[in-house]
Amino acid sequence: MALTVTTVARRSAVIVAALVALLAAVGASLAIGAVDIPLATVIDALFGDLADGPERKIVMDIRLPTTVEAVAVGAALGVAGAVLQGALANPLASPDVIGVTAGAGFGATLILLAFPGSVALLPVGALVFGLVAAAVVFAIAWTGRNRGGVTQVILAGIAVAALFGAATTGLMTAFPDRVQSVVFFMAGGLTPNAWIDLESFWPYFVVGLALALVLIRPLDRLALGDDVAASLGSRPQLIRLGAGICAAVLASAAAALVGLLSFLGLVVPHLVRMAGGTSSHSFVIPASALAGAALLTAGDVLARNVAAPTVLPVGPFMVVLGVPLFLWLLRRTA
Amino acid sequence: MTVASGHEPALDARDVYVRLGGAPILHGASLRVDRGQLVALVGPNGAGKSTFARAAAGILRPARGEVRCMGHDVRRTRGRRLARLRAFVPQRPRVPEGITVAEAVRIGRSPHLRPLARATRRDRDAVERALERTGTARFAHRRLTTLSGGELQRVQIAIALAQEAPLLLADEPTSQLDLGATVSVARLLRNLAEEGLAVLLVVHDLALAAALADEVVVMSDGRTVASGEPREVLAPDRLREVWKVEARLDADEAGHTALRVDWLGAARELEGELR
Repeated sequence: MALTVTTVARRSAVIVAALVALLAAVGASLAIGAVDIPLATVIDALFGDLADGPERKIVMDIRLPTTVEAVAVGAALGVAGAVLQGALANPLASPDVIGVTAGAGFGATLILLAFPGSVALLPVGALVFGLVAAAVVFAIAWTGRNRGGVTQVILAGIAVAALFGAATTGLMTAFPDRVQSVVFFMAGGLTPNAWIDLESFWPYFVVGLALALVLIRPLDRLALGDDVAASLGSRPQLIRLGAGICAAVLASAAAALVGLLSFLGLVVPHLVRMAGGTSSHSFVIPASALAGAALLTAGDVLARNVAAPTVLPVGPFMVVLGVPLFLWLLRRTA
Repeated sequence: MTVASGHEPALDARDVYVRLGGAPILHGASLRVDRGQLVALVGPNGAGKSTFARAAAGILRPARGEVRCMGHDVRRTRGRRLARLRAFVPQRPRVPEGITVAEAVRIGRSPHLRPLARATRRDRDAVERALERTGTARFAHRRLTTLSGGELQRVQIAIALAQEAPLLLADEPTSQLDLGATVSVARLLRNLAEEGLAVLLVVHDLALAAALADEVVVMSDGRTVASGEPREVLAPDRLREVWKVEARLDADEAGHTALRVDWLGAARELEGELR
């Protein structure tokens, strides 16, 4: 009785739908491109049953790395948004709110404009400054009076984001002739050398996702308010700090790989909550991972093929896919 | 660490001092609650009742003094262990969107689960019992955002009962409720005490406190100033001294209580005229 049949059925349906969408997007991502490769051939290539040749090379060396990257980043951003919205009890929370997006944008801009010779350091710059921005936010929000409070975190985040935003603008003004190179990063795009990036950054995804898993139950307690969470043996400020670290790690690593895709972290958790009809984190966090991965992978398929052979930034395409779905659900949900 | 024995009070708070934001809020507050006893904590606004209840629950850290729940020092007992010793029902709980009554009460059971572990049959039974006991089972599938104030308060108590702690602290659970809902929550708390739970109830309504409580503890200006049997403690002299009103508590053996208040100051004027 405690969990009615319809509730379980609805949640399962959303999980299955997200999984199907993800598989479809992954299939399309591997099969569709400048050269269309039949799905059966793709599967043969994945399982090592395809002889060496151009098709095998396209699937394994070009499309598979980008697809894996899209899945990892999409899942990371979906989870980062879900964890932050839960921890801050605020529907507008996303990695933007804790300064990560502005910090990563500044880090990338700094490398691209001031050190164009060291462009290989771009992901590192984005990661480091994303984490630095979040660390500054936490340091401000977790000291002084009312430390660890929701308003404290959000206001500190907005202020620090403004600071890094101003620094980014300053850099662009200082190097106006090189600004072109920043546009792709700001719009978000999957990199061609994804294996190398993933090799360096996979631990951040693993740590962030594992932390999110541990946070599921504490976040459910926190949803009932700080006092109830405390009654249930949790420390609300500690949960918020853990959630902030989790989101900062995931979103910074995501920004390092694909640039700024903040929309995903904001919208995906709302999508799954509206579709699943529950805010329970045991559903919202895994469902956000699946839906985020599906949305980014599908967006990438569009970005690569709409104006082929030119690869467009994935950010706008993901928005084009996600916004209509989001608005449709928004109107249906009471 | 002391191990709880059968004779120890469920809650024993001694000479508690609390500072909030640098300001002293409590200076010398003490009380004890035994198993099967309902103790009402009363006092004027700003006397420190809620702060004392939160310190007694281990949610606020006292600057001085000692609080023991079931024999355990709350400052040394953290997390899920403390949550299995006492449950706290806050005054203004958050009402999250997209959470049903059943989900909320299941969250109340979470101190009994190891991290990442799934609920067992025992946990599910405890949740079921908490829902039944509070009369919330019949709307267990509804979302918290659709409930009335009285229903919400019963859900809060259900969340606390799912913790299966021997001590329940409730901070003004009836302050926002109409008469009928107040009576229903009051009876529930009284019955829980009859069944062996130790209950500390922070309450404004002195007539309600007198009807419900085995013992009343009066707070004034950050201190506990009196405790004992309700009719003795809430005598006219004390009501005048602590609340600055002329009032008399009427109570009969059947459990009816009323507070006769000189609302408009007529008695004092009359007194003046007679003089």
